[in-house]
Amino acid sequence: MSHASYAIRIRTLGVAIAACLLTPLAMAQDIKVGLVAALTGQSAQSGEAITRGLTIAIDQINARGGLLGRKVVLVRRDDESSPPKGVAAARELISSEKVSAVFGGIDTPVSLAIVPIANQSKMPFISVWAAGTGITVNGANPNYVFRVSAQDDLVDVALIRYASTRFGARKPGLVLVNNAWGESNDKGLRAAAAAAKVELAGVEKIEMNDVDVTPQLARLRSAGADTLILVANAAPGAQMMKSRERMGWKVPVVSHWGISGGRFDELVGATAGDAHFVQTYSFFATPNETGKMVMAELMSRYGVKGPADVMAPVGTANAYDAMRLLGLAIERARSTDGDMIRKAMEDLDQYAGLIKTYKRPFSPTDHEGLAPEDYVMVQYDGPRIVPVK
Amino acid sequence: MDFAAFGSALVTGAGLGCMYGLVALGYYVTYATSRTVNFAQGVPLMLGAVLVFAFGNHLHWPAWAAMLVAVAICAAFGMLVERTAVRPFVKRGSESWLMATIAVGLIIENLVLFTFGRDPRGLRSPLTDIGFDLGGLRITALQVLIPLAGLAITAVLSWVVRSSRLGRELRAVAQNPATAQLMAIDPSRIISLSYAVSGAFAGVAGILIAPLYTVSAGMGTMFGIKAFAAAILGGIGGAWSVMLGGIALGLAEALIVAWVGSTYAQLIAFVLVIVVLAVRPIGLFGRAVALKV
Amino acid sequence: MNRGGITGVLLLVAALGAAALGNDYQIYILGVAATSALVGAGLNVMLGLTGQLSLGHAGFLALGAYLPTILASRLSIGYGSASLLGMLLTGLVGACLSIPALRVRGPYLAMVTIAFGFVVEQGIADWKDLTGGWNGLSGIGTPEPFGKPLSPRALTLLEVGLAFAAVPAFAWLRQSRLGLLMRATRNSEVAARSIGVDLVLVRALAFGLSAAVTGLAGALLASSTSFISPESFPFFLSITFVLIVLIGGEGHPLGPILGSCIVVLLPELFSGLAEYRLLFFGVLLFVVLRLLPHGLAGLITASSRSAGGSEASANPGHPADPADTADARDADSRAAVWLRPPLPSGLVCRALDKRFGGNRALEGVSINIPPGEITALIGPNGAGKTTFINLVCGFYSADGGSIDFGAAGLGPAAMHQRARAGIVRTFQTTQLFDDLSVLENVRAALTQGRITRREPVDGAGLARALLREVGYRGPVDIPAGALPHVDRRLVELARALAARPRVLLLDEPGAGLSRSEKVVLVKVLTDIAQHGIAVFLIEHDMRVVMSASSTVYVLDGGRPLAQGTPAAVADDARVKQAYLGTSDPVHTSRRRDQGAAGRVSVPQLLSIDGVAASYGAIGVIQGVSIQMCAGSVTAILGANGAGKSTLMKTLSGLLPHTAGAILFHGKSLAGTAAFERARRGLVLVPEGRQIFPDMSVVDNLRLGATARGGITAADLERLLARFPRLVPLRDRPAGLLSGGEQQMLALGRGIAAGPQLLLLDEPTLGLAPAVALELFAALEDLAQAGLSLLIADQMSHLVLPLADDIHIMSQGKITAHLPGAQGVDPDRLERAYFDRL
Repeated sequence: MSHASYAIRIRTLGVAIAACLLTPLAMAQDIKVGLVAALTGQSAQSGEAITRGLTIAIDQINARGGLLGRKVVLVRRDDESSPPKGVAAARELISSEKVSAVFGGIDTPVSLAIVPIANQSKMPFISVWAAGTGITVNGANPNYVFRVSAQDDLVDVALIRYASTRFGARKPGLVLVNNAWGESNDKGLRAAAAAAKVELAGVEKIEMNDVDVTPQLARLRSAGADTLILVANAAPGAQMMKSRERMGWKVPVVSHWGISGGRFDELVGATAGDAHFVQTYSFFATPNETGKMVMAELMSRYGVKGPADVMAPVGTANAYDAMRLLGLAIERARSTDGDMIRKAMEDLDQYAGLIKTYKRPFSPTDHEGLAPEDYVMVQYDGPRIVPVK
Repeated sequence: MDFAAFGSALVTGAGLGCMYGLVALGYYVTYATSRTVNFAQGVPLMLGAVLVFAFGNHLHWPAWAAMLVAVAICAAFGMLVERTAVRPFVKRGSESWLMATIAVGLIIENLVLFTFGRDPRGLRSPLTDIGFDLGGLRITALQVLIPLAGLAITAVLSWVVRSSRLGRELRAVAQNPATAQLMAIDPSRIISLSYAVSGAFAGVAGILIAPLYTVSAGMGTMFGIKAFAAAILGGIGGAWSVMLGGIALGLAEALIVAWVGSTYAQLIAFVLVIVVLAVRPIGLFGRAVALKV
Repeated sequence: MNRGGITGVLLLVAALGAAALGNDYQIYILGVAATSALVGAGLNVMLGLTGQLSLGHAGFLALGAYLPTILASRLSIGYGSASLLGMLLTGLVGACLSIPALRVRGPYLAMVTIAFGFVVEQGIADWKDLTGGWNGLSGIGTPEPFGKPLSPRALTLLEVGLAFAAVPAFAWLRQSRLGLLMRATRNSEVAARSIGVDLVLVRALAFGLSAAVTGLAGALLASSTSFISPESFPFFLSITFVLIVLIGGEGHPLGPILGSCIVVLLPELFSGLAEYRLLFFGVLLFVVLRLLPHGLAGLITASSRSAGGSEASANPGHPADPADTADARDADSRAAVWLRPPLPSGLVCRALDKRFGGNRALEGVSINIPPGEITALIGPNGAGKTTFINLVCGFYSADGGSIDFGAAGLGPAAMHQRARAGIVRTFQTTQLFDDLSVLENVRAALTQGRITRREPVDGAGLARALLREVGYRGPVDIPAGALPHVDRRLVELARALAARPRVLLLDEPGAGLSRSEKVVLVKVLTDIAQHGIAVFLIEHDMRVVMSASSTVYVLDGGRPLAQGTPAAVADDARVKQAYLGTSDPVHTSRRRDQGAAGRVSVPQLLSIDGVAASYGAIGVIQGVSIQMCAGSVTAILGANGAGKSTLMKTLSGLLPHTAGAILFHGKSLAGTAAFERARRGLVLVPEGRQIFPDMSVVDNLRLGATARGGITAADLERLLARFPRLVPLRDRPAGLLSGGEQQMLALGRGIAAGPQLLLLDEPTLGLAPAVALELFAALEDLAQAGLSLLIADQMSHLVLPLADDIHIMSQGKITAHLPGAQGVDPDRLERAYFDRL
């Protein structure tokens, strides 16, 4: 290799590196909040939804003069849905970016991996999507992990109850996506079924990228399932619904909220409305003041055409409320110190949020911002998510 | 397991297997001519589906035009991969083409993620609305078309390779590229062509699969790996063995689920791949070649 | 210290500094990078030494990460001891995986490892009681070397220390006996087996070692992250590890560290790119792969590499060893001691049978190979001679008959076991370990492939002595891949001797040697036999057979035809009939009588003017000028390595010429690709036939006709009719044809192209004399019909009567030009121009 071409190669690399280092830098006195979420890959939509909710809340806070007189800045990191990447990102946000709090994304395993680090470094960590029970119920004292989202164990109880009251289910079959989230609900649903004295017809797993899950459903049908309880994201959930339709099996479907993370209606087609599922918020319900404002922001900033166009609505809703709650806590604590923020979070008063009006949302023993009463059962009506009739 | 479940598993598995086989043919054609493959074969598959969706749903082109242009772009993409990520490495005797094709795949996948959008989309096809019932299972026209298309393509490919002049040139390049040149054959043209065909096959597969599946930037990844497993299982030496490898894999997956349930299905499927290759290192349908020294 | 060493030390200092001073995040990332480099070092054992690609190392990492936590709680032991136990178990799993992996190659191997990665990922997810399933394990321990758990900073220091300790460890392994054998198996499996290397063991060790190192990295990584789940070890991670090795520089000790810097550390600098990071990562990988072919390590060591390269190419014929010093004579006597078998024993084969499908390759072949003598096997091509060697050495298993070796029969022993017992072979097409140096090639055989056995004292001296014993005088430090043909033969022979054979099986050792070289060869073989070794050789050249062997066996069509003393066999009528094909081997020229006057008016067809080219480090040609008229026959004669094939490759366009001009029909061929030259009518019948083995005879001929756009059925029949031998074989795969038939086919294929000028490169190589005669008869006919021929060959007595012009080539140059053939006495010419070499 000649020296000239060698020099050119080095220069090419150098230019590429320099271009990437020139990303915008935040000012030192700003209050930084971090987000570790899936921004690429299959769950990228969730990261985008959370980003929107956080950004709208932060801009609103900054428009009113920020927190403690300082501007709030969002620092985002992609975890690629991988726990080690998430751990690296969280450590970077905590140690190098010196954020004041970290928000977590859709993946329960990533959040579970971040929990010990958050508690170790006294960093408030707020889950705005991942519903795994162990995230908040982690045995640490003091516990720095909060959640403004559903919790699997509670959702599972609600799902079983809904299946038996609404559809008279006596032998539900479970269809779970083969990942950590499916497994978390596997445990929760079995426990909930046992508590409700309901026998399960069987538990079948589907892959994130299955094309046809007829064999799984055929097994459940032979086992005598009278309802299906679905825990899956939009795409695999849709594959399940399509297989169900082709089998001509008119079995009721009760679903966790994962199917709302994408265009479930478009993916499934006509039978999308057959699935009744849980949400923490529906942009189709009559909105409160905050709801109107957030919708207006979504429309003006992100070109959203209406409620039907809001992808993964719970991510945006939860993230918005969580950021506002964090803002209140920082104001209350008059500090960005992790321990002070935690104490302030556990002692918040009232906040008229998007999902509901929060009254003392957290306490030292309860870090769940939302309760089963806040869950609503909804279904698709065309592209609209509407409360079940 | 009752008979209905078994029957539906057979139908499902065969359909799935043909899809694997169809994608796997893309590995076969390039491997045959150049002993290289686009390891990110899932990417042209995804491109086919994504482009048809974009042309049809955003630009409102007629379906035939959307499909034709999409397949043409997939073929061009295949050639581009060969030109940029395979040929330079093969030329210097490096095996890094495998990694380079993965890198190109990563780039394209992420570009699609930002342009096409993050959420999986559903592609409608009139072929999924018509169909017939078979033992309580509805078989749509598309599900019939996929195996038919797969078998037809396999048959045509097999005939072309075996009997046509192009096929002879292709085999000549496969067996000895330097000597093929002495026969007035331009190996880079043949290899480039095989990559175009490979990209087109993946594109066709993507378009066929899309209405049954979902359209997204990441839709091809697992298909690419499964199809690679299918190609290897079949023994990558011929169009039919590759197709049969696909069908074997699809049937195995569906039958394992039907028999033992879905919990250990993935585990068992991949253990089977290892066992099969340990027992038959040339693949299920590969032809043993007597070694000479 | 070289540049690589300096870079390594600088990186070590930087890493230790960062580990000592960095914040939590920085030491964490450093720990991840260090453990990734450690995985890279493990993978480098496979990729860089045995040349096996694994796309499943995330699986080993996962095993290494899960096992310590599980073991620590089940066995109530500390995390550190559990880690070491886990490392051993992971290594064991790796060794077990090598067994299915051993049987498969290339993409098949990649698939086995991919499947393994998925099996581990799914297995962990499904085995919930032990692993926590998808929800993973948290609260992972930390090694406690001094009684109390390491702090995160100390843990990172440990990880960095281990990653850098792997650098000298890898360098040591690479040059160790095991490393030598690993690299040997990478170059040629069959040659490795022929000197006693147990492939299963070497591969299993490489796999096991690679897995164990990866397992250790997993234990440390788990401790650093303090949380693991199946999703921590996705398929993409396995790809990342391969990238670390490739980008760093495969086979280079420092490679994994450098690769880890790029693949793990660099993306962290760009974490601010958030969702665009993967896109950027893809671009970065692509750019690095394209721009740095030897990885970063190659960039750092580039200057020393090129220096080594120029040294290697410098005049390979020059004797590098100090001539006969006292030391050298000492060493020679050591070689003699080494070669004397402690227990000389011969080989008695009785009624050997071998079938391939329905084909009987060998039938009732009984051959006695006594110690201290040279036994020869002759027979026409396709008689089953090489099959016999393959049976005896254990490459094939026999379908019937017995082989007695010393006291015991051999049974179905594997090839490497027979090699260790003293049955060592060479190959018809030389199989050297091309990436190893000449000396390493020979040294590799000194322990008969055993890993545990120590090399004899001063193995290098012994290896040199053995090289001298066989007459090799070239440099010993250059890669064997750069050697010319003759030297390759000699080094292979020396390597076989280094394996301390009791029975030495040589497959056409004289092929491609000049007459004088063959004389030397006979002397060497006689010496070897005198040490008490049973020498067995397959040979075409009757002069070699006559002068060397005490007993000759003749095979025909897989059946024994005759045996006896060379003289008796040579007189045997059946042998003459089968082997020589005719009782009158003298070629009578039927050359057309074409006056010189007739040629003047004929236009210039080919004009070669001052052409230079090179083929690797050898086969360099310079200043070659040849003029050729249409309708004439030109011969280029010269010994092997003279540059004839290089010239033919250059003319056909397979090799670019670096100076001078080639005009065909008055038009320059510069920049014209080989396939375009073929279309213009410049057609090469390449050395070694190069027919397409999987295609039928007819399809081969059709392919030949591509140059003129195909061939009609009638033309095809006419063409076939020229070669009566091929007519009954028309639909048979060409690979099943005998050597002579293949050469006929290659010639027919060349004619099918409708050439203006037919180039023939060594058309008689490896052909029995009778077949060579037949071939030249066919060439004669073509010349009569007015086709221009340019023939490169060494068998001058066949070429001379045919040629209008004769060029003698030596050392890459045309050394003589003799117009007209009739007046040249073949014997005189051969003496003058070949035996001088």
